[in-house]
Amino acid sequence: MITATESVCPVCLARLPAYREQDGDDGWLVRTCPEHGPFRTRYWHGPPGPQGWDRPKIPKPGTEPLGAAPGPGCPYVCGLCPEHHQRTCTVVLEVTGRCNLGCPVCFADAGCAAPDPGLAEIAARLVQARGKAGPANLQLSGGEPSMRADLPDIVAAAKAAGFPFVQLNTNGLALAADAALAPRLAAAGLDSVFLQCDGVSDAVHTVLRGRSLAREKRAAMEACSVAGLGVVLVATLVPGVNVAEVGELVRLAASLAPGVRGVHFQPAACFGRYPGDGASVPRLTLPELMAALETQTGGELRAADFHAPCCEHSLCSFSASFGVALDGRLAVSGGGGCCDTGAAPIPAEDGARQSMAFVARQWGPAKAAPEPAAIRDDFDRFLAAAASRPKLSVSAMAFMDAWTLDLERARGCCIHVAVPGGGLIPFCLYNLTAADGTALYRQKSCA
Amino acid sequence: MNDTPTYLPESGDWSCAACGEKLAPASVAVTYLQGGFTITLMTCQKCGLSLVPEHLAVGKMFEVEQLLEDK
Repeated sequence: MITATESVCPVCLARLPAYREQDGDDGWLVRTCPEHGPFRTRYWHGPPGPQGWDRPKIPKPGTEPLGAAPGPGCPYVCGLCPEHHQRTCTVVLEVTGRCNLGCPVCFADAGCAAPDPGLAEIAARLVQARGKAGPANLQLSGGEPSMRADLPDIVAAAKAAGFPFVQLNTNGLALAADAALAPRLAAAGLDSVFLQCDGVSDAVHTVLRGRSLAREKRAAMEACSVAGLGVVLVATLVPGVNVAEVGELVRLAASLAPGVRGVHFQPAACFGRYPGDGASVPRLTLPELMAALETQTGGELRAADFHAPCCEHSLCSFSASFGVALDGRLAVSGGGGCCDTGAAPIPAEDGARQSMAFVARQWGPAKAAPEPAAIRDDFDRFLAAAASRPKLSVSAMAFMDAWTLDLERARGCCIHVAVPGGGLIPFCLYNLTAADGTALYRQKSCA
Repeated sequence: MNDTPTYLPESGDWSCAACGEKLAPASVAVTYLQGGFTITLMTCQKCGLSLVPEHLAVGKMFEVEQLLEDK
């Protein structure tokens, strides 16, 4: 089975016609650069096979034909261009390039003292991004956003700009060190913390982040829970380093539900700062991760529980929600919604709305159970029962680097970085770097 | 009659558009995906059509629907 798409040369980033080859349950991205030769990269390894995961989207009515990218074309004129297939569901805004860690793995290649944009400039960019993206979710990112003393003011500015759901992407060190920070951020309107947490052992943190961090991560989780912030544990996964801890990380998250709302896995991609050679580095693909979750939880989570996304391109992610019983055991929950249409196409706009609403509900703070006196009918009883059995979302997103970049997937992306000047650039394209480190979009903050 | 609250429309004297019958409270089974609830709604005694008031549709009913669809 062969399907056509487009990609780039990992060496010179020239756009190339490309093919997705399916070989059994494996998917390969194949193309040849006239100057740098053939490239064949595996992006999918294992059942149900890439074809079994397909979930086509119907562009919003009235936007067909979408039109072609202007000038040099996709992926060189992002902002977004008329060739893009999906609306923004999450705006990512980087508020600093500084960081208090110097991780060997960092897609942002952060960690230097380039001056931060001022609060007024950030506020203006938030208003601009909100105008362009509509009522999307927002993630404040960096660098390490908590390096800024005015972070609560930025959160307040985001809410004032009209972002209904605001999340902070952080390593958690500041939240662990300063007990007053989480309540200040919550008071400013923060909903959720995307807490980098690569595993449960200090050994994992030492390899990926340069030092032991397990104690600080736990302190940050506790501080956020007490402050009423939803916590999502986010693990960057590197084969041979921390893939063996995915089950234990889910167990930890379940033990801390409903304060911890989800676990989100990000298999490492070769952009920014990463160890090894992108051409030969082992890549963890989504079906391998689903299988690892099943094995490491003794079958409590099953690979078959996970579904393709409603919003982004189907090959980019998986997710599922699990009910957490009193004894900590997990059982898949839910059913229905747009994701149960099998392989039938779904409207892209509907998928985006459903996904945004789910993220805001599940990754924000848990709703308190209704008071017993307020329980008057079966609806109330159902809501009370649901509140006493918290849900934990388990999800993953497969970022694309210069070796795995599939432009059809990039054009279906819904996570967009708001850049100076007002552009919205799909996350993977913004972070894409060639084999020699040359960036397609990102300005190197340490240049 | 059961002991669940009756969800009345906020105002108006309602009758069934199809039958002309005045609506009266009746126990109604609400089913969605694997979930089922019993509530009391103003219902046409002749054809059985019920009136779901807006505050219920966009309130508790919506909350429950979201939880059932979460996955």
